[in-house]
Amino acid sequence: MAKKSSHDHPEKMPTWKSDFPIKEEQVTHVGRREFAKFLGLLSGTLALGNGVIVIKALAFPAKPLEGEHFVCNADEVAVGEMFQFEIAGSKVIPYILIHLEENVWRAFEQKCTHLTCAVRYRKDLGKIECPCHHGFFSADTGEVLQGPPPRPLPRLEVVIRDGKVYVREEKQDQTV
Amino acid sequence: MSDFRRSQNEAHPNKTNTLMTAIIVLLILFVGIQIWFLFGALNNALQGNIYFAVTTFIGSFLLALASLWLLRYLPDPLKKSSGKKK
Ligand code: FES
Repeated sequence: MAKKSSHDHPEKMPTWKSDFPIKEEQVTHVGRREFAKFLGLLSGTLALGNGVIVIKALAFPAKPLEGEHFVCNADEVAVGEMFQFEIAGSKVIPYILIHLEENVWRAFEQKCTHLTCAVRYRKDLGKIECPCHHGFFSADTGEVLQGPPPRPLPRLEVVIRDGKVYVREEKQDQTV
Repeated sequence: MSDFRRSQNEAHPNKTNTLMTAIIVLLILFVGIQIWFLFGALNNALQGNIYFAVTTFIGSFLLALASLWLLRYLPDPLKKSSGKKK
């Protein structure tokens, strides 16, 4: 079989040919079969991944924050300033507290809804900025003003009592 | 000795190629739609839209079934068929 095909040098079969006794035609054929099978496998994996999302959403729904959490004393944060704090629950979630105006406070999750960069309050612009891809959020509502973030920043309700700042889960009545 | 399969193959020597291309294109299409579903499900599930996640999961599952079913129609490996002929 090899002699027939190597009619250029009929006297000797090249070493590579005896080492790889597979026809080129067969190689590409096998390659495409394997590729098709791989695509089938990939398809199954993607369906599985979609299933995991469903299971995760059903079995482990996002727990609301329980109770009130002390953040800091109200006089520690001047008007227009930002204060970073954390709340430890099932995982540690970083938040920012913004003293927008006299007696106006806001608290948001610090993780950008795009790729979870840390956002910060820009006093000069009056907006929350994500420095990673120049996303901007409203400092008042957390709505996306500009840039790639797909969702508004999750918000907490701020309660001032006896000169101390507390946060708690926002009541869900004013959601869109 | 000639049988139906062999005369078919001789009459249309490119048949395997066309078939293979068609299967691969279809599979890529399915996988593409599934990636789209998964992306949408991730984005939406984060917003608490469980209904979207369930719908895309069903769609994705059906597409996976279709992909696996398509694999049945892969042409035989050449080695095996040439072995049979001899
Ligand atoms: S991570 Fe915030 S804009 Fe991309």
